[in-house]
Amino acid sequence: MQNLVKAVRIQEEDFSMEAEVGALRAISGRIGGIATFLGCARDFSEGRDVFSIEFEQYAGMAEKAMQALRSEALDRFDIIEARIIHRVTTVHAGDQIVLVVVGAEHRGPAFDACEWLIDELKKRVPIWKKEMTPDGDSWVTQHP
Amino acid sequence: MEAHMSVKVLFFGSIADRLGKRECSLDTDKAMTVSDLVAAVGCSDFEPLLLAVNREQISDMGLLVQDGDEVALMPPFSGG
Repeated sequence: MQNLVKAVRIQEEDFSMEAEVGALRAISGRIGGIATFLGCARDFSEGRDVFSIEFEQYAGMAEKAMQALRSEALDRFDIIEARIIHRVTTVHAGDQIVLVVVGAEHRGPAFDACEWLIDELKKRVPIWKKEMTPDGDSWVTQHP
Repeated sequence: MEAHMSVKVLFFGSIADRLGKRECSLDTDKAMTVSDLVAAVGCSDFEPLLLAVNREQISDMGLLVQDGDEVALMPPFSGG
């Protein structure tokens, strides 16, 4: 069983988008709009095949940085709740990597906060991905 | 007054691969800025380089390192 109590988590195991949305909806009956971003592993990147992707994190800082992002989003946007889950493990094409779920009274702030959270996560959370390709291993250096 | 200082230095991602180590301990008797520390571990020419002191990202390379600090040298993040 996954620990759905924590709204911000870094974990090896896969997550259930349905369960996370359910946990968010259980917070408040005022939620009328939910925006989600689900990031998945691709089998092709920068012009070559990708067999798998390995993740590394700065344990102790990465989850803290994600918690700070959630707090900031709750302050900046007119939203009710936000959840962020990021896997740190080895994933293959199609596997789930990251999930952002935002609940608000209305869709506008939910969309805005969801986009802001995933954009800022890529800039501020110390997690790195390394792609396994036919040409060898390669650290990903950009965050498009 | 000079006092002995010990700092834990962590390396991540491509930086760890390039140095062939994930962490080291730096001991000194002199006051040291983050910039001094980066030079001492041989990373002055690593660009771009992100830094954290005690798990908070910093941009001021002139910040003085304190005894017991944990300093992280990190390549740009690529999570998500």
